[in-house]
Amino acid sequence: MAAKTAKKSIPKKPFRFTVDDLNGYLFIGVAIIVFAFFTIYPVVSAVTTSFENYKPFGSEWVGFKNYLDTFKKDLFWKSLKNTAIYTVVTVPCSLFIAFVVAVMIMPFKKKTQSLFKSMYYIPAVASGVAMSVVWLWIYDSSPSGLFNQVLTLFHIPTQNWLASSKTAMLSLIIMALLSGHGSSIIIYIAALLGIDNTYFEAAEIDGATFMQKVRYIVFPLCKPTTLFLLITGIINSFQVFMNAYMMTGGGPDNNTTMIGLLIFNNAFKNGKYGLACAQAILLAVVIAGLTAIQFKVAGDDVEY
Amino acid sequence: MRKNKVLALVLTAVMTLGLVSCGNQAPAAETKTEEATPATTEAEAPAATEEPAAEAAPDTITIMVPPVTADYADMLATWIADFNKDYPNITVEVIPTSWDEHTEKLSTMAQAGEAPDIAEVSYSAIGTYVDMGVAVNIADYMDLSDYDQNALDYMTLDNTVYGLPLYLTIQALGGNKELMEAAGIDVEAVQKNGWKYEDFMKYIEKGTTKDCFGFVFANSGVTTADFVSIFGVGAGITSNFTKDLKYAYTSENMLNLLKAVEEMTKSGYMPNYAVEAGQRLVMLECGQTMITGKAMPLFEGSVNKNNAGIADGTAAEGSVEVQYVFLPVPTMENVKESCFGSVDGMIALKNSNSTDEHLKNVCAFLDYICSGDRVAATDNQLYLSCVCKSGREAQAGATLDQTEGNAAATERCISLVQAPPTGITAEQAANAKTIMDEVIVPKFQALIAGETTAEDMFEAVKSEAFDLLGEDNCETGFIK
Amino acid sequence: MASGLYSQHLDRPYVYKIRNLLIGLVLLFCAIVVLFPLVYMLAWSFGPNLETASSSYHIFPTTWTLDSYKAFFDFSDYSWKWLFNSFVVALATVVSNVVFASMAGYAFSKINFKGRNFLFFMILVAMMIPYQVTQVPLYILFVNKFKMTNSYLALILPGCVTSYNIFLSKQFFSSIPTALIESAKVEGASQIRIFNSIILPLSKTVLAVMAINTFVGTWNTFFWPFLVTSQEAMYTIQVGLKTFKFANGTLLSPMMAGACVSAIPMFILFFALQKYFLEGVTIGAVKG
Repeated sequence: MAAKTAKKSIPKKPFRFTVDDLNGYLFIGVAIIVFAFFTIYPVVSAVTTSFENYKPFGSEWVGFKNYLDTFKKDLFWKSLKNTAIYTVVTVPCSLFIAFVVAVMIMPFKKKTQSLFKSMYYIPAVASGVAMSVVWLWIYDSSPSGLFNQVLTLFHIPTQNWLASSKTAMLSLIIMALLSGHGSSIIIYIAALLGIDNTYFEAAEIDGATFMQKVRYIVFPLCKPTTLFLLITGIINSFQVFMNAYMMTGGGPDNNTTMIGLLIFNNAFKNGKYGLACAQAILLAVVIAGLTAIQFKVAGDDVEY
Repeated sequence: MRKNKVLALVLTAVMTLGLVSCGNQAPAAETKTEEATPATTEAEAPAATEEPAAEAAPDTITIMVPPVTADYADMLATWIADFNKDYPNITVEVIPTSWDEHTEKLSTMAQAGEAPDIAEVSYSAIGTYVDMGVAVNIADYMDLSDYDQNALDYMTLDNTVYGLPLYLTIQALGGNKELMEAAGIDVEAVQKNGWKYEDFMKYIEKGTTKDCFGFVFANSGVTTADFVSIFGVGAGITSNFTKDLKYAYTSENMLNLLKAVEEMTKSGYMPNYAVEAGQRLVMLECGQTMITGKAMPLFEGSVNKNNAGIADGTAAEGSVEVQYVFLPVPTMENVKESCFGSVDGMIALKNSNSTDEHLKNVCAFLDYICSGDRVAATDNQLYLSCVCKSGREAQAGATLDQTEGNAAATERCISLVQAPPTGITAEQAANAKTIMDEVIVPKFQALIAGETTAEDMFEAVKSEAFDLLGEDNCETGFIK
Repeated sequence: MASGLYSQHLDRPYVYKIRNLLIGLVLLFCAIVVLFPLVYMLAWSFGPNLETASSSYHIFPTTWTLDSYKAFFDFSDYSWKWLFNSFVVALATVVSNVVFASMAGYAFSKINFKGRNFLFFMILVAMMIPYQVTQVPLYILFVNKFKMTNSYLALILPGCVTSYNIFLSKQFFSSIPTALIESAKVEGASQIRIFNSIILPLSKTVLAVMAINTFVGTWNTFFWPFLVTSQEAMYTIQVGLKTFKFANGTLLSPMMAGACVSAIPMFILFFALQKYFLEGVTIGAVKG
């Protein structure tokens, strides 16, 4: 409906300043000012820098050199591939886990619900550094690492978790899947609580089963939330670098070098800021493409 | 009633921000005075002479340091007070950082054109700042005669000195004397004369028992780089570049090194899994390994402290009494013995208010903290000897908590260190760093995990190096 | 109960109870797995102030003391100030996000103004640029142009309205029927009034989610506060924890104790907002 009215009104009075326009700008005013200063300015600056051999005092314009250098680098493609693998596995799985847990929490009384919600949310508040120390112990390659102790219990040979190309990426994925669903779960719960009971009552009268209710009521009504979590999940996942930075340093054999880590290293360790900017812009283009596809697939029925 | 809710929230937001901006006023005022300084300095610059005149213009110097030693920040505060007796016009502002994020913060500040005037760096990072155009040729502003040439060489790129050394650390191996003697090793002879790689392999075989490895090297994640540099020296690669400025990791020595590492990992005298940096010393203290690396002379203090803690329960769990011995790196066939050395120091950096007069002040303070009692106090805590004359004089009186054998071995190793060749350009240094970070270290990790062979890795390093530096600039023969 | 989704078996209390029990057990098992690292962190924060070999790591320390907590508060004169700073910064960020991001989210979802799609697209694109490359220009802006090092403003402003929160609230508001707003408009209500008296009451849940997520996010931010503070008195707790860690080598227990101390305010906020998370909002009820 909203889309329809928009299409109608624009060609009719193209230059009139409507009440809606005024209200719209009023509502987004503060956000846009903040955005212009602290987001647009740095982004524009990063874009120009990507065409420079950046030096704090006197950069020189090098055109597309940073981009061409990036394309020539095998490591760039490898890190893009690593990031894609990581994203393709973790984002949908995390989303699924968060959705299932949120739905499973629903049948309980308020007290039980809040207990479960806190249990699942709490891991989100723990600081990253402390958690990475715990995970380093869990993945310790010596026989005293937690996972290795578990394996020994079942008479399976111990693994070189983070230090072997076979298991390093898997280890990072397991770590992502076993932590950090807290905020997705509470966002889903907020969406589930927003579903009006009358929908379910109507379905009840039609004799719908539980799965049918999930399929025809919960799914479509949670679509905006799912789209939000999917898009922000992909954005975060493509930019991820803390796990590789803390846990593996990108190794072994660059098998866990994420594109975020590559950009980080170029910007802060190697002093190649122009190159880092070019790689960041390329990454943003990839993410923007994926996001556009998701919006297309999700369709216009998000708004009603 | 609800109508006012938004208004109330907006007001709260505005008030919080307002409150917060009040707190901002004091620091803002400070920055203003700072901003004003370069103008005054410039105006008086022609009048200034060698001697800092009493009426010299006020100036503010910023220095950014990680905890070089545990109480470095406190010591720095007293040095600044002493320095101000001679230079009352100079205010020194300290920006403390942590080791982990020092590089990131420094790099961000430098790229923003707001670098601190002085910062602690490892010699291998100097190239980055030279390349960025923010490093200062300090020879223009001060006299370098106090400092040892071989240590200054580390702070030099393309024949320009960019900073002053604090210390030269030697990194090699350390061992448990009792266990080594039980394995039939003449520890004193090794400390005095060094040892051959073949013998080392035999010894670690003998030292391996059910509960104890012959040798443990911390090799997880980025610490892999230490393995390459320390054993690289044993294979005859003392620096990224040879004397005639050819890239060294493409030489036959490299292949020998890689084969040796392959042999060590497959031998079973070493753990076949990755060992965390924090673990190696604890393993030594608990008698779980005979020899460990990388090790520094400084570890003697940690081990002694741990020994003392066994009685009162402050030692690591499972500790045994250990006598620590500092050991040289085993040398391979046809290679002249050497030792891996690394220099950490302070460099001077340019920022938006750097004038000639300001840089002169910066270098005066830089010289002050890198020499005399100051550097002696720092190096004593690190079990290292100073690399400048004034520091050595100040250090003469101090005795270290070190056995005679270890002291002699330390001194011998220091004398074996070969400084990097002079004339390396910033670009060469940057390329060498790229090859190290993007190819050598990652492939080396795969080699240790048994997932690539020495030959394959060697080829990968060669192809990247030929690509970046050109085949003509890479050494492919044997470095003697 | 709380939702009509689970209305099956309501007539058979026995089956109903067993079903809920089974679901509960599965949830409990998963929760234990997820909570494990945290339990470990909490347990070891009471461990001795010593180095420990990983070969002797157990899930629980062998001796329990409060030494590590004492070490944390004794370490710096500013330990409490760091907590206070973090609190001020996080609170200001939360308030400004809840107000301004939700207003913007509402406009993007329900007000038909010119350039809406373009501006929203820009906000999304901005999220896609990794922070690594925007830190330098932002640093130049704050240090060189605004001269704001060591100030609360520098800590708060960059995060005071985030794209993430605008997006979150937009998605949530879009599921509120437009008819509700249209009918209010017909009755002559202004947009501010509609937002205030219809939308906000319906959105307590999402605002609470936004608040807690923003608080946690701001509280745990390390790199930006680390860049713009150089005086100990202006550190946030995360920056302070780092200096603490390196003064003591890599001792496990003090580090875990620090992490626990820094997590406590977030627990408090979480429980304070609990009741909003649970308030299922029935749009139908408001309509009727």
